[in-house]
Amino acid sequence: MSGGIARGRLTEERKAWRKNHPHGFVARPETLPDGSVNLMTWHCTIPGKQGTDWEGGFFPLTIHFSEDYPSKPPKCKFPQGFFHPNVYPSGTVCLSILNEDNGWRPAITVKQILVGIQDLLDQPNPADPAQTDGYHLFIQDPAEYKRRVRQQAKQYPPLV
Amino acid sequence: MADRETAKFSASSSSSAEEEAGGTLSNESSSLFQCCVCLDLLYKPIVLACGHSSCFWCVHKAMHQWRESHCAICRRPYKHFPSICQLLHLLLLKLEPADYKRREMEVLEEEKNAGVYSPQFVDSDVGKLHTVNDNGTSTANIKDRRPEDFEHLENIIKRKVSVDDVMCSLCERMLYQPAVLNCGHVYCQSCLSDLSGEPLQCHVCQSLHPGDFPNVCLNLGHFLEEVFPREYAMRREEVQLKKAQRPTANPSPNSVQAQKATEKIGLRDMYFCLSEDMSDVHVGVGCDSCGVYPIIGKRYKCKDCTEAIGFDLCEACYNTSSKLPGRFNQQHTPDHKFELDDSQLLRNILMRSALQLDISEQGHQLVSVPEDDDPHDYENHDDEGNGYEEK
Repeated sequence: MSGGIARGRLTEERKAWRKNHPHGFVARPETLPDGSVNLMTWHCTIPGKQGTDWEGGFFPLTIHFSEDYPSKPPKCKFPQGFFHPNVYPSGTVCLSILNEDNGWRPAITVKQILVGIQDLLDQPNPADPAQTDGYHLFIQDPAEYKRRVRQQAKQYPPLV
Repeated sequence: MADRETAKFSASSSSSAEEEAGGTLSNESSSLFQCCVCLDLLYKPIVLACGHSSCFWCVHKAMHQWRESHCAICRRPYKHFPSICQLLHLLLLKLEPADYKRREMEVLEEEKNAGVYSPQFVDSDVGKLHTVNDNGTSTANIKDRRPEDFEHLENIIKRKVSVDDVMCSLCERMLYQPAVLNCGHVYCQSCLSDLSGEPLQCHVCQSLHPGDFPNVCLNLGHFLEEVFPREYAMRREEVQLKKAQRPTANPSPNSVQAQKATEKIGLRDMYFCLSEDMSDVHVGVGCDSCGVYPIIGKRYKCKDCTEAIGFDLCEACYNTSSKLPGRFNQQHTPDHKFELDDSQLLRNILMRSALQLDISEQGHQLVSVPEDDDPHDYENHDDEGNGYEEK
């Protein structure tokens, strides 16, 4: 029975997303060069929350699902070098609900993941740093941190 | 695969229009009885002690091979793989015949590919279930229903759901706050808490209920409340009246039990890895009688079952000589012989170095500086994915 659940679940996730998803977000499975769809990798966009320094940015996120999904959480990646205290230099997001032994539950949907990461953008968790740059500025130099966040938001304008 | 995908998408968009035309019951029940793991209609539903339900395979695949498992929704730990809830199974068959049939075909296809099967319910099985019932304190009600069980599937499906489909076999009334035991049988929660003795024993199949006192099965409870609002309200009054009449020595055994359970859970959860002797664990092997997964301690393997998945019992169930059929539709009979089997013991597996590699890798990670080293030397953060470690 290997590989049965992951694709079925992702098909349902796709359906649910098409029916209804939060405003400004994008989530779609990768299309391969030959035109086929790869359900195991999704390309998403997370909008920065209005009224925060992240506003105006539309941040690209890639979600990698494994064959063990949803028993195991997917891996979520921003572009390499993304500025945020809880994002590794490789771009991987460090978030409790994406941690298999911590907060992950198979019932968590793609929508909840994306909204959770949107929340994380403006509410970093200083107890769980993943990069030096973002963490030190967040702790030691709030003004510079703010400037860097705003600068990064400008780097990711809306695609349309 | 891509073709199938697009085909499925177009099909789904057209069927959603049909769904909307199909009336409210279909919509309501499809959202109520959605499996949170595959997000499809529940198929062969299993209800955990926390009251949350998933499909047979969705539960089994998500169970941990060598540790206790956690509910997909609330993360409450559990150790036993419960049996399918037949009442819910038959209910869904009636409510969503087309969708349920589709799920059956899909799952059967996957099972054929994998060579492992979930329990099959045929007419005779249902009959058997009620025969057991008759041995116990059978009720006029159940006897009345018996002929229906022998009818062809189509006839059962054509029937609409009635109160008869959702009865408690203890109080012989419509289920109120239904709770499901490990064996898959459903009772009113108040009826279960009236039962004396620990552990709980199923009134229908006599099997013991291991683990925590079951919570109300949420989706079934909501369904009853929505579909039979008047009957449900009446039942609520009855149960409350009964509670009020009872001497108030122990006002709510439920809550006390639940409290005890949560205390136990906290401790168990925290120290499970550290304190338990893991060398006793049969990785990925469960007991076909009580459902404990994995088996810890002695494991008895059937020598005569030919199915790929095998048939195993834990020591306790071996000693009580269970006559239950297997959890994966094995054709086990009581005259089969058993042998002690330790091939799946964790320590043997370790010796076979399959896991040893993993461990030496983990050890390696602890000292090496990964590409994504973080400022505070949280070496447990494994950025490259597979093994997020707890801090």
